[in-house]
Amino acid sequence: MITKKILATALFALTSSFAFAAGGPEVKIVGTEASRVDAESLQRGARLFVNHCLNCHSAQFMRYNRLTDIKLTEDQIKQNLMFTTDKIGETMKSAISPKDAKEWFGAVPPDLSVMARSYTSERLAAYMRGFYRDDNRETGWNNIISPNIGMPHVLGELSGTQTMLQTVFKADGKDVKTDHDAETRARAAFIAAQTMSSFEHHVEKKDGKTEHSYIVKTLVPATDGKMTPQQYDIAIADLVNFMEFVAEPHKAKRIQIGILVMFLLTILLAAAIWLKKEYWKDVT
Amino acid sequence: MASKQPSMFTNPVMRWVDERFPVTGLMKEHLTEYYAPKNFNFWYYFGSLALLVLVLQIVTGIFLTMNYKPDANYAFGSVEYIMRDVDYGWLIRYMHSTGASMFFVVVYLHMCRGLIYGSYRKPRELVWIFGCLIYLCLMAEAFFGYLLPWGQMSFWGAQVIVNLFAAVPFIGPDLAVWIRGDYSVGDATLNRFFAFHVIALPLVLLGLVAAHIIALHEVGSNNPDGVEIKQGPKGNRWSKDAPADGIPFHPYFTVKDIVGVVVFLMIFSAIVFFAPEMGGYFLEHNNFVPADPLKTPDHIAPVWYFTPFYSILRAIPPIFGSQFPGVIGMGLATLIFFALPWLDRGSVRSIRYRGTKWKTWFTIFIVCFLVLGYLGVKPTTVWGQFGDWASFLDTKDRATWIARLCTILYFAFFFLMPWYTATDKSKPVPSRITFGDKVAPAAGE
Repeated sequence: MITKKILATALFALTSSFAFAAGGPEVKIVGTEASRVDAESLQRGARLFVNHCLNCHSAQFMRYNRLTDIKLTEDQIKQNLMFTTDKIGETMKSAISPKDAKEWFGAVPPDLSVMARSYTSERLAAYMRGFYRDDNRETGWNNIISPNIGMPHVLGELSGTQTMLQTVFKADGKDVKTDHDAETRARAAFIAAQTMSSFEHHVEKKDGKTEHSYIVKTLVPATDGKMTPQQYDIAIADLVNFMEFVAEPHKAKRIQIGILVMFLLTILLAAAIWLKKEYWKDVT
Repeated sequence: MASKQPSMFTNPVMRWVDERFPVTGLMKEHLTEYYAPKNFNFWYYFGSLALLVLVLQIVTGIFLTMNYKPDANYAFGSVEYIMRDVDYGWLIRYMHSTGASMFFVVVYLHMCRGLIYGSYRKPRELVWIFGCLIYLCLMAEAFFGYLLPWGQMSFWGAQVIVNLFAAVPFIGPDLAVWIRGDYSVGDATLNRFFAFHVIALPLVLLGLVAAHIIALHEVGSNNPDGVEIKQGPKGNRWSKDAPADGIPFHPYFTVKDIVGVVVFLMIFSAIVFFAPEMGGYFLEHNNFVPADPLKTPDHIAPVWYFTPFYSILRAIPPIFGSQFPGVIGMGLATLIFFALPWLDRGSVRSIRYRGTKWKTWFTIFIVCFLVLGYLGVKPTTVWGQFGDWASFLDTKDRATWIARLCTILYFAFFFLMPWYTATDKSKPVPSRITFGDKVAPAAGE
């Protein structure tokens, strides 16, 4: 009996460890479209970025003229992408003042210069597809990736809306076996979900007893937007490509130089090995 | 210092210098007539590589200092300015950030070499002690430097470490304020950490490195066999007084080390150019968020090279609500290395001739060090929790208990060393070093 209990605990540990691994809710992303990182994708991303993101956010370390790196001319940048300044060397500042923003959203929208590096591009792409209608929120929106975030779904017009279905699996801690069962059923529901969904594990102490609950949230499409889901996915991929570029404008150059450096070092290595062998011939 | 030697130069300018400064003497003493054992293997690359990384860090550091602003309002922005607007600033910054981690990789391997071949044993105790001082200095240097980008991890990491000093009984809180220059990590802290990082510690580091090398060249290098070549037969092709198994450092080991340098640079460049963040281990994701004193990150983890010690800190339970025991444990874990030459009472130096007891303990030590390092980057819940039956424990996190076990074994490796090394059954040591397929007869045969 005891060994069985230990075994069950071990199994329980093994499965639950994955839920913790990410540090936060575990998320399943379904059907993301990758978009090739080319000048066209970056330009489409830039258009989305300045039209939608820069209304509230800044990218205070990113200069407009840096966009010449994605094959735009200075005239094109000035005419199509610059709304808050007329100096091409200026950095990307938001259209609203930080003071107003704080009043509207409860916090100043974070700077987006290096957002792709801190939040990571994968999460960013999921985040932009993770908004759903929530009447309990002031903005009317909630997000499955960053729950209860202050930001509304600014691209809602393009994507259409989603709602969220939530299933709670409770384990009251009386018996290891049923606890394990609740988690297994929750995980099965999470695995079976066909749309973007998340898996959360909550632990609550009640009268000295530990209660585990497993929450599976699933997003369900509600209304259509201007874009088909596939078009929207591509648009988000473009946007994330662009934000990656904003976060590290010299990345392409870095990789290019890297290849050259590796090539030169390989030649140097051959020379170094030959030199060593020549010298060491007489060491016996 | 070498006595006056006939100049090795024909160039009149160099001859003129040589009459007034011992260029020839120094070059002979440290390079062309420094005889090193010819059987150095893979493990012997890391000394010269550490020197290389030191130079890289100093040179890239100088260029970063030209554009960095040690001011809480501008620090984060000035790093982004370096990354974007300074010509090849991104390259300099990535070299410096990668260099910091690679310094520790190289130094850990270098220290490991010292352990496996017993390089700390008599008469090399001072070489080892200078090395330990370099390691401490390097940890301080890395800690101070990590605050400078002024990201969330910089800020909260410094906050956590400085607060460790606040755990010292009686004087703790005042001590922490004195270190920070403020009640919380702030502009004053950033300024003084900058001063320590760019001038104070590099000066100490350079001095210690010089002392480390001078002490080494005084006693001569150890080797994978742990055999003292100076006690072996004399006379080689270059000198009749030099050890027969020694070869001049230059050109033999300089050309050999060049191979090591190029291989190292390939790994280094691969990281700098293709994966500068190293999956969030060399540059942490959270450190791209500017420091915010009002927002504590969910999970504060130090950079990977501190994590074994951070794990030890977390593993030791507080006594009477004070974290001080953990702080002592962490401090002791780094300082215990100094005592190694006197803890080891084995009759042989090298792992090649050690008995099973030492080999077992050494393996346990390495495994514990790695497990502690791994646990240090993860939250304590990483391996789940014991069930409710374990309510008598102070924490149900499995990882904490594993870390405790590893901490005990980590210290046991050192504290039990006098016994298990003295009673270990060593193998016979050859009279001379093994080189190629030549194996010398055991000493005394």
